[in-house]
Amino acid sequence: MAMQQAISSTSVRKAPARRHDRGRLMQEAAMLAPAVILLTLFLILPFLLSFWTAMTNQPLVPRPTPVRFVWFNNFIRIFQDDLFWTALWNVSRFTFWIIPAQCGLAFATALLLHQKLPFRNLLRGMFFLPAITSMVVVCVIWGTLFQYPTGPFNQILGFLSGGAIQPIDWLGDPQWAMFSLVLLSAWQAYGFQMIVYLAGLQGIPDELYDAAKIDGANVFRRFWHVTMPGLRPTHVFGLVITTIQAFKLYTQVAILTQGGPKSSTETVVHYMVRAGFEEQKMGYASAVSVILFVIVLVIALIQRQLLRRFDV
Amino acid sequence: MSDIALSIAQARTTRPRSAATVLRIIQTICIFIIALVIVSPLLLLVVASLKDDRFQILADMGSFRAFWVSNPTLSNYAEVGHLSGELAFGRYLINSLIILVTTVCSGLIVNSMAAFVLAWGSFKGRAVILSIVIALYVIPQESIIMPLVIMVSRAGMSDTFAVQIVPWVASPLYIFLFYQFFAQLPKELLEAAEIDGASFFRAYRSIFLPLSLPALATVSILMGIETWNQYLWPILVTQTDYARPIAVAIATFFGQDSIYWDRAMAASVLMMIPILGLYLAFQRWFVSSFIGSAVKG
Repeated sequence: MAMQQAISSTSVRKAPARRHDRGRLMQEAAMLAPAVILLTLFLILPFLLSFWTAMTNQPLVPRPTPVRFVWFNNFIRIFQDDLFWTALWNVSRFTFWIIPAQCGLAFATALLLHQKLPFRNLLRGMFFLPAITSMVVVCVIWGTLFQYPTGPFNQILGFLSGGAIQPIDWLGDPQWAMFSLVLLSAWQAYGFQMIVYLAGLQGIPDELYDAAKIDGANVFRRFWHVTMPGLRPTHVFGLVITTIQAFKLYTQVAILTQGGPKSSTETVVHYMVRAGFEEQKMGYASAVSVILFVIVLVIALIQRQLLRRFDV
Repeated sequence: MSDIALSIAQARTTRPRSAATVLRIIQTICIFIIALVIVSPLLLLVVASLKDDRFQILADMGSFRAFWVSNPTLSNYAEVGHLSGELAFGRYLINSLIILVTTVCSGLIVNSMAAFVLAWGSFKGRAVILSIVIALYVIPQESIIMPLVIMVSRAGMSDTFAVQIVPWVASPLYIFLFYQFFAQLPKELLEAAEIDGASFFRAYRSIFLPLSLPALATVSILMGIETWNQYLWPILVTQTDYARPIAVAIATFFGQDSIYWDRAMAASVLMMIPILGLYLAFQRWFVSSFIGSAVKG
């Protein structure tokens, strides 16, 4: 009897519930649809198209002659172009310099800021200020700082060295141009990374420090055996983000050096944009973009492997 | 007796504490000096924008006068702030603001709705869609930009506001940030709402969205910075002043042979203000919420 009641009551409850479910499914579909449509149209579709375009001789402006399918010719020509290898070498150099500059500075300031200092929020805001500054504005500022021969940097260097250091043509000397871009890029991006490090530090439980203290570990041992292991995922994240950003280096180059002097600041993205819009070879440029994607993918996969090994 | 014990205990703790205080003061001074060095290029920008003579700006650059204006003037701002004319940045600023507000507002709605369905929806394919969205995060904007330019120009969309807004509204990163936030909220919230007869959408709008203020703040800041500072995409898709954003305007202006440093500085300061306002408005929630998810994601 009770059983029957239960059955009948569930069947009663089920009928409106099913109606409710259908309405709910409709709502779910409607709420998901805008994002799915936009992602398909503006991310998945162009992404798939880039593989297709990369194998054609598609021009920027439509021509009367039909677009030809050229298989892997674009890739072969890219790999035969010395300028492409220069660009790849340049972004590698850039990465090699910017990782210690940006991550190191971010880590150091985060360690200092992590303590209960007065005006912490004000300080955090000051350090984050460059990160919200547009790269175009950063280029305007640093363009003046780098002025040759009487810009602030050269004056400061001359003053500090008592005139021993000759003025450096920061952006005009092939030996210095990429390094100058490293300086300004690190300045711009490190505040963001500092916040990532701050959050990483906040994520380490205080009990670990207390336990280490009870065990008699001094400041340095606590840093080495508690802080550093606790920050492993943060380090990996920071390294990967910085590396990926470095391989996408573009705005600074486009505004300040246009790839020069003597191709010393040519980068992969700058090379791609020039091929696509100055030389109007969209197919060729798309092939470069496919290569860029593969590079980014490899870096991201390495990150996943590292994080898995660190058991995060 | 207990008083003595107390004072001994205090004496024991105060000595190391005073050493710690000294250390802390030194640290504070150090970090303020570093902060000043970091901020000084921006100070230089603001000061230079208040000088009327562009030759003076360059002449001052090599000395401490770079950080000082004897007779500050807003004339650069007045000149740059016009809505039309050769050096009018007012128009570009308004263009950028339109793009910023529209992109961020629609981005908040579209991405949070999708994330809510992925977190609490009832249909089976959710996990699959979620993993596709996460995988899409790997595709850099630079990799899709070539075909996208061809697509939008074929569709007759170049040189519009829409072309600078619509493609960047939905984003795997922001969907994922919202997803992580919604997924950690208790399941009982949704159940309670449904028992009260609220629909799925209603639960999202009236319960989950108001609770997700930290996520909304984080996405607003990140998306705001990203949209405001876009450079590559707008130079590829804008040909006239009609919808050109301020970043592109400053860059073109900067590339001219005779650089009007005074005006370039004023325009740059103007460009910083809106995004600074956005950051200050939301920073309270920004740090805590963004990272936990970003690092582990």
